[in-house]
Amino acid sequence: MPGDIGPGEALAPAWREYWMRGRSSAGFVIGLAVTALLVAVALVSLVWTPYQVDVMDIPVKLQAPSAAHWLGTDQFGRDVLSRLMAGAVNSIAVSLVAVGIGAGLGVPLGALAAARRGIIEEVVMRFNDFTFAFPALLSAVMITAILGPGAVNSIIAIGIFNIPVFARLTRGASLSLWQRDFVLAARVAGKGRTRITAEHILPNIASLLIVQMTIQFALAILAEAGLSYLGLGTQPPAPSWGKMLNEAQTLMYLAPQLAIFPGLAIMGTVLGLNLLGDGLRDLLDPRLRRLR
Amino acid sequence: MAVFLLQRLAAFIVTLLVASLVVFLVMEVLPGDPAALMLGVSARPDTLAALRSEMGLDLPAAQRYLLWLGGLVSGDLGTSYTYGVPVWELVRERIGLSLPLALIAICLSTLIAIPLGVLAAARHNKPADVGVMGFTQLGVAVPNFWFAILLILVFAVHWQVLPAGGFAGWDAGFWPALKTLLLPAVALALPQAAILARVTRSSVLETLGEDYVRTARAKGLTRRAALWRHALRNALIPVVTIMGLQFSFLLAGTIIIENVFYLPGLGRLIFQAIAQRDLIVVKDLVILLAASVVAVNFIVDLLYAVLDPRLRGGGHAG
Amino acid sequence: MTLLSVRDLCVTLETPEGPAPILEDVGFDLAAGGSLGLVGESGCGKSMTALAVMGLLPERAVATGEIVFEGCNLLALPEGALCKLRGRRLAMVFQEPMTALNPVKTIGAQVAEGLRWHLGLGRGEAEARAVKLLDRVGVPRPRFAPGLYPHQLSGGQRQRVVIAMALACDPALLIADEPTTALDVTSQAAILDLLAEVAAEAGLALLLITHDLAVVWQNTRSMIVMYAGRVVERGGTHEVFARMAHPYSRGLFAASPGALDAVLPPGRRLAAIPGLVPDPLHRPAGCVFAGRCPRAAADCLPAQPAERRLAPGHAVACLHPHLEATPA
Repeated sequence: MPGDIGPGEALAPAWREYWMRGRSSAGFVIGLAVTALLVAVALVSLVWTPYQVDVMDIPVKLQAPSAAHWLGTDQFGRDVLSRLMAGAVNSIAVSLVAVGIGAGLGVPLGALAAARRGIIEEVVMRFNDFTFAFPALLSAVMITAILGPGAVNSIIAIGIFNIPVFARLTRGASLSLWQRDFVLAARVAGKGRTRITAEHILPNIASLLIVQMTIQFALAILAEAGLSYLGLGTQPPAPSWGKMLNEAQTLMYLAPQLAIFPGLAIMGTVLGLNLLGDGLRDLLDPRLRRLR
Repeated sequence: MAVFLLQRLAAFIVTLLVASLVVFLVMEVLPGDPAALMLGVSARPDTLAALRSEMGLDLPAAQRYLLWLGGLVSGDLGTSYTYGVPVWELVRERIGLSLPLALIAICLSTLIAIPLGVLAAARHNKPADVGVMGFTQLGVAVPNFWFAILLILVFAVHWQVLPAGGFAGWDAGFWPALKTLLLPAVALALPQAAILARVTRSSVLETLGEDYVRTARAKGLTRRAALWRHALRNALIPVVTIMGLQFSFLLAGTIIIENVFYLPGLGRLIFQAIAQRDLIVVKDLVILLAASVVAVNFIVDLLYAVLDPRLRGGGHAG
Repeated sequence: MTLLSVRDLCVTLETPEGPAPILEDVGFDLAAGGSLGLVGESGCGKSMTALAVMGLLPERAVATGEIVFEGCNLLALPEGALCKLRGRRLAMVFQEPMTALNPVKTIGAQVAEGLRWHLGLGRGEAEARAVKLLDRVGVPRPRFAPGLYPHQLSGGQRQRVVIAMALACDPALLIADEPTTALDVTSQAAILDLLAEVAAEAGLALLLITHDLAVVWQNTRSMIVMYAGRVVERGGTHEVFARMAHPYSRGLFAASPGALDAVLPPGRRLAAIPGLVPDPLHRPAGCVFAGRCPRAAADCLPAQPAERRLAPGHAVACLHPHLEATPA
């Protein structure tokens, strides 16, 4: 929660101070470094990978890691490192758009619920309660089953189940802000609800939303991997970490190393994002630090 | 308390009704005619029409919805299109795998998480705490299906002490059956345990700062005794909440884990039913899973009353 | 005979901004069966003094000096030995009865717990004694069954339960930290009467911490006034009230509400002391009260004034004390 921040202060947060404090938190530094590395690798893979991602080279199939192929090759002789790098793009793209959908629809819904109360709030919150009764993955499986498997449909499936998360968070945080003096002052001054939301509410919950986006981003990476593993996400031959694990499982006795690297990539990414999220939360809300 | 329970019960029923409506509508949108799927592409139009009317597919949607709902209430779940057997039978067969699997996973995660969380809180900011927090960070970040594959690599491929997949069936005896469920249960339990350990830790830390813990210390109780006798039970109240919420994640986990281990459970059944457009099975199972999630959270509400006398009612004395 | 003797007690709290001195050179004596009032504004270190005696300071606090209780220095005792004293020879009643009791345990079990822990009594015997104790403090059966939970009692009743818990093992010293602050006015008097009664009955020493001079006046034989972590005035309660010497004591007195009617003229106006207590991190080198003191002079600023004796059993830490009688 954005403690006792007035409207003006929130618009100009002390980023320099956050940075100074952030450098002293090991988790935050590691998280930031891992996330930066991931983004860098994904960007590099757009223009260069050690080998071409989709080119099969059967004679060198299922090789162990070597100087030529740092992480070995898969059952078609494709370079695992290159595929992991390209898989990073896939993971980031799917998760980014999915979280974007979740936040893009959830935040306005939550803000609306808090600003209007009444029936709109009821509908939004009941929808939230309802999605909570369904395991998100089950719903994602159902949605991809309706729309057919594929990267775009897994984005939609993951995105839909990010909406209530952001709606709930936005509503909860906004409700308490609506009771604060500076918002009451703005209302007395005759500003409309939309304008107050844009000028006072959203800037004050921005830090909270950024933290939640980081965490949801990590969850989306996991969900995308799960869906691709089940064959419902990104379709071959496009590289995806989950699909690579699925293929590796059938080759476990022949080339166990194939099952290691994609998993490490997923774990490292999620770990980095979670550390970054926790670090950001500690920075933005030092009062919670004691309990984490 | 009674009013509270009645309210919860009403919410329970409303949630299920809404869930059933949504599931029904979603299945309506789902492309593919089940009758055509059953008969294949070469079916003659009149046979198709006969089958459609036999399956009730030619009735208006509202009527079909009510028929389905009535069937659910009276215990008639309909007949699977692909298996040709009553859905209830499919469920009964597979619940014997999925339910024990879920229970073992819950027990495992609780047995791992609560001691770890308490240990971390008791040794706040000491190496043990840092270690537990590191474990929880890893546990949350590891995708459960990858962890399952790693378990298979170690225990089935490398040491060959446990099977890599499949279910022996309870007819094979208790231990052989349990052996086949062990790795899946561990894979399911890990991420749950990591989250639960974190919640336990912060909850215990919070209760350790409460006044009544200081009162207990003023009575002469050691730090440890104050933790076990006074802080723990209060700290468990939020932990139980999270356990209830986790149940739905556990169900989602079974869909994927049963696929990793080729286990013929409910999770795999629903996955296959979706792939095969066996709509009646999908509808029934989704409602069943949703009902079990809501039911578990209802039980959690009852557990509160056990843990917290303030919810048991009974007004002021004097 | 001296039961508790505190000498040069300093408590420092580690904060993110650096070590903050909470208590500086606090010292006092309390005789067996005696009563001592510790008075001052909130934040002056009264509660920290109590927690230091109990050995329950927060983890980030470091205490130096001596707290001699029944002949041994508590600050030098290991935690295990302290646990044997706490609840057995030393007991404490807290400010907030609403939160001082465990919400998930019955009041009977909470009173019996100390008996079982220290005296090794069985459940039945301990609970039978707990019933007697509850009866003594005015929470009698059958109206208040020992099987009740704290939330079923009012604040005053809960504070009585806390007192029963403190009395359970017959302690020699009872520390009461603002025992009535959280209660309504009618319960306040009753709880104070109860404390005085049980203290006299059991012959235990009472260390009463309060911000309310009236409570000190009515319940203690001697008193100390604390300000910003230091003792500024001490003496027999009657002596101090008759001739309040420290400007802070007088300010506190002038700011006291109507319960002091016995010693104050009717129709007097309450006066607030201007200014704020200095932050522990930025305390001045000289007299800590100088910044708010109407009598401050240049010589107050360079160094802490030493304590000087005004009369037998009455001392003040001030260079320019009031020497005339307290205006009535």
